[in-house]
Amino acid sequence: MALILSIPGLVRVALVRDPDELLRVNNAGRVARSLSGRGGLFNRSVAAKLAVFRTPDGDIWPAFRDRHDPLRAAHQATLESALSDVEPLLQRIAPEIAELGNYIRDGHAHRSMGVVVQQAIGRLFFADYIASEESYAAARTLQAWLSAWPLRAYWIRRSGALKASLDRIEATSRGNMACAHATALAMGNIVKSIDLMRELVLRGDSLAKIEPQDALLRTLRAPARVVREARDGDCVGLIRLRSRTLVLLAVEDARQQRASDPGFAFFADAWNRCPAHSIVPALLIEVWRAARTNKKHSATGTPPQGGRPKSQPP
Amino acid sequence: MSRENDGFVFHRGLLQAVLDVVYRAINFFVTWDHLPTLLGAANLSVFRDRLRAHNLHHTGYGTTSPGWSPGNDRWRSADGSFNNLDHPRMGMAGARFGRNFPLPECVPDSVDDLLEPSPREISEELLARDQFIPATSLNLLAAAWIQFETHNWFSHGVPESGNEFKIPLKAGDEWPKEERIGGYMKIRRTVRDETSRESWLGAAPTFRNLNSHWWDAGQIYGSDRARQMQIRSGVDGKIEIGNDGMLPADPVHPGADLTGFNDNWWVGLSLLHNLFAREHNVICDGLKTRYPTWIDEELFQRARLINGALIAKIHTIEWTPGILGHPALDFSMHANWSGIPYRVLRAVLGKNSEAAYGIIGSPTEQHSAPYAMTEEFTAVYRLHPLIPDDMDVRRLDAAEVEHCKLVDMQGGVSRKFMETRGFANLMYSFGTAHPGAIRLHNYPNFLRQFTKDGQPLLDVAAIDIMRDRERGVPRYNRFRELVGKKRVKTFEEITSIPDAARKMRAIYKGDVDRVDLMVGLLAEDLPDGFGFSDTAFRIFILMASRRLKSDRFFTDDYRAEVYTNFGLDWVHKNGMKSVLLRHVPQLGPALEGVNNAFAPWNVLRG
Ligand code: HEM
Ligand code: HEM
Repeated sequence: MALILSIPGLVRVALVRDPDELLRVNNAGRVARSLSGRGGLFNRSVAAKLAVFRTPDGDIWPAFRDRHDPLRAAHQATLESALSDVEPLLQRIAPEIAELGNYIRDGHAHRSMGVVVQQAIGRLFFADYIASEESYAAARTLQAWLSAWPLRAYWIRRSGALKASLDRIEATSRGNMACAHATALAMGNIVKSIDLMRELVLRGDSLAKIEPQDALLRTLRAPARVVREARDGDCVGLIRLRSRTLVLLAVEDARQQRASDPGFAFFADAWNRCPAHSIVPALLIEVWRAARTNKKHSATGTPPQGGRPKSQPP
Repeated sequence: MSRENDGFVFHRGLLQAVLDVVYRAINFFVTWDHLPTLLGAANLSVFRDRLRAHNLHHTGYGTTSPGWSPGNDRWRSADGSFNNLDHPRMGMAGARFGRNFPLPECVPDSVDDLLEPSPREISEELLARDQFIPATSLNLLAAAWIQFETHNWFSHGVPESGNEFKIPLKAGDEWPKEERIGGYMKIRRTVRDETSRESWLGAAPTFRNLNSHWWDAGQIYGSDRARQMQIRSGVDGKIEIGNDGMLPADPVHPGADLTGFNDNWWVGLSLLHNLFAREHNVICDGLKTRYPTWIDEELFQRARLINGALIAKIHTIEWTPGILGHPALDFSMHANWSGIPYRVLRAVLGKNSEAAYGIIGSPTEQHSAPYAMTEEFTAVYRLHPLIPDDMDVRRLDAAEVEHCKLVDMQGGVSRKFMETRGFANLMYSFGTAHPGAIRLHNYPNFLRQFTKDGQPLLDVAAIDIMRDRERGVPRYNRFRELVGKKRVKTFEEITSIPDAARKMRAIYKGDVDRVDLMVGLLAEDLPDGFGFSDTAFRIFILMASRRLKSDRFFTDDYRAEVYTNFGLDWVHKNGMKSVLLRHVPQLGPALEGVNNAFAPWNVLRG
């Protein structure tokens, strides 16, 4: 059952955690992705946070676009199809996979693990994408912006860090909004997974014992929450949403109740299905495998499994 | 800078900011319509500023930049381009409709919800006229006038076949069998906008305005050069008039007059088109006497400017206070045109203040978006209940009264009807008949089963409902919220029309957020003296001023070098009554003592 909190002028919010309920709300006609900021101060502050994910031309990042936005659907389909050819893509990012494998096994690397993840994700879009400590810092700033309390958020904006981070991410993404989304926000989930894999390894001899598929199921993480707004009042199943309720879909909580289904983390059967729903699990599996097989590689990574050439130099 | 609004931003002054806070406090206790006149008028200007700041949203132009033509600086181009010299596409014919709400609010429901509840059921249960409810403070010319004006401002074009909405029909529905397709009523979709979409439009659909968006009397002069040339006589700047003194027939539109825009034609429109064609020609005569060397083109274009401004003035200070009979509104509309009548306050507010000296002649300003008509504006002007099903046709020279059906005065038979009854008699008849009240249960029944050339049988009431849904105009409750009114929680809060709340609850299955905009507007209880709802009025406050304020020819270029001194004087001295009396002097007795030409005239005999 959803938790609903409404304090006039301050907040009108519903938190949905049950997996079935969550999918139903996500699919409801009157629940939209774009936020008006109406409903209370809290609603307004959340809307203001998401409103920054636009290019200077006003182009909206894909995960904040409305369901019926024709461009959203078209981009989603194109990207999904581009990412569905998993094998060649994994080959393209083999050096990064190897580097991550080393990190999981040995716990150290020449650079932040996040930089490697960001580069791996970026290279799904552009084979010559290069991540750096700066671009990863930009991604972290944007992730921090999303979860920051008001004072911190104020500071992130005021100090110029927000704008600088957006500019950097958009520049490294060459105007590709999906790439911006993936290398700034979505990569956070993968970083979490890699960290969890490392923790698994630290527990004795897990690396050898745990099969890759199993490692995936244990470490895959969905976004903690994604947000919606009920524009008009609506009853979805047992939940009665008043107009302008900010709806928090606790995807990770719900996923844990469906842990055997990796698709759940990606809304794999819904209109807002993550286009990376097959490549991300494949990538994590591959990283675990690399950690198991790639015993003696340096962190900068000669490719695993013998003959794969290194792609662009970093 | 917001690129979406093409760089336009609203700048609020200190006085405006202070008034905004003060009026938020005042309105907590009293609504604007219960304040003393001056305070009420100031309240309206506060609303207007809020709306200017938050309720103007650009959707892209959807046109390519046209080439410059000589004269574009001095008079209106045929298609409305170059009204704004820096943004030549702004407001031109073919440019997209804008929005009054943020674009994510303007997204149509998904397929399942779009047809719910059935627009046909709404037409039958809530809109159908049982008995004519007259608007007794108005005459029927007021109804024709507003259609005449909307034909200046916008048209979505005539829908074409293909991919129609299929509206389910209840058992027992009398929709003719031969019009049903697989048991459904078909409603064609609005003509699509095929131009390429900007990525920031999101899910909001876009549509293009066939007509120029400007207040340029395009209904008379057309919205393209070819049409403009077609209606002209080619001599002394005049509009072509037949030997009988009337506009000629349109060769491709049977029953309609040859004029700028003649869709949905009926005698009401013909009266006004003829009247203002005559006015145009008289203005040409006046100009020619003063500027004998001017060629046809110059005379035409200057007369067009003057005639257009006169129509805008009549609309602002006669028609509007006529339909919205509230002292604060009357004051505000006069202030919009010519400023406030207090010298000290004028001096305090300064020369460029639109409040002090009127919008006319003040600096041009677009506020927060490029000028465009909006979908929401179209929606609030769906005023079909103004049209009666029957009317009494009178004669100036006899007491006899002929009871006529409106359906026999429109479309293909309009010209014949005009010929047989006569221009002056019909003008008199319109002046002495009432339009319908803009309420539920007052939708003309002939329009609910309407035959139009090249179209399937139309239930225009169901179409009205469907159009707002299709175009992503928010439903009533959200619309209220977005124009700055509180949402309602119950059907009873909307309306005290007997039994209406119950019927609405049944149709909308108890969900007040689903009430369609038009239904809510027709049901809403009205402020004293008002002919239409306060909710619709909010859009109106914004857009009525905007049509003047955004237009170079009413602001920066409202000056003698453009209009001539004769022209400015003509606009200043004339009004609907003087125009009527000039062209139909026989109306003298009928108009005697009538202060507003849109109020009922004297019935002379009988
Ligand atoms: C563990 C990693 C990831 C997880 C758990 C994840 C999950 C999700 C979820 C739950 C959504 C839906 C968000 C919402 O509806 O508000 C989403 C959307 C999206 N994701 Fe991912 N994602 C991941 C990685 C990626 C990657 C690597 C990419 C790109 C290569 C990507 C691209 C996208 C895009 C473009 C959308 C927007 C889809 C739309 O058009 O609606 N994601 N993702
Ligand atoms: C005999 C008189 C009239 C007839 C036959 C008539 C007929 C129609 C028809 C057939 C449509 C098009 C429906 C569609 O979208 O497919 C329409 C639209 C419309 N009518 Fe009327 N109408 C009449 C009078 C009026 C009046 C008095 C008003 C008052 C303002 C009015 C305002 C409108 C508006 C705003 C639209 C929407 C136009 C658009 O979507 O661009 N009409 N009318």
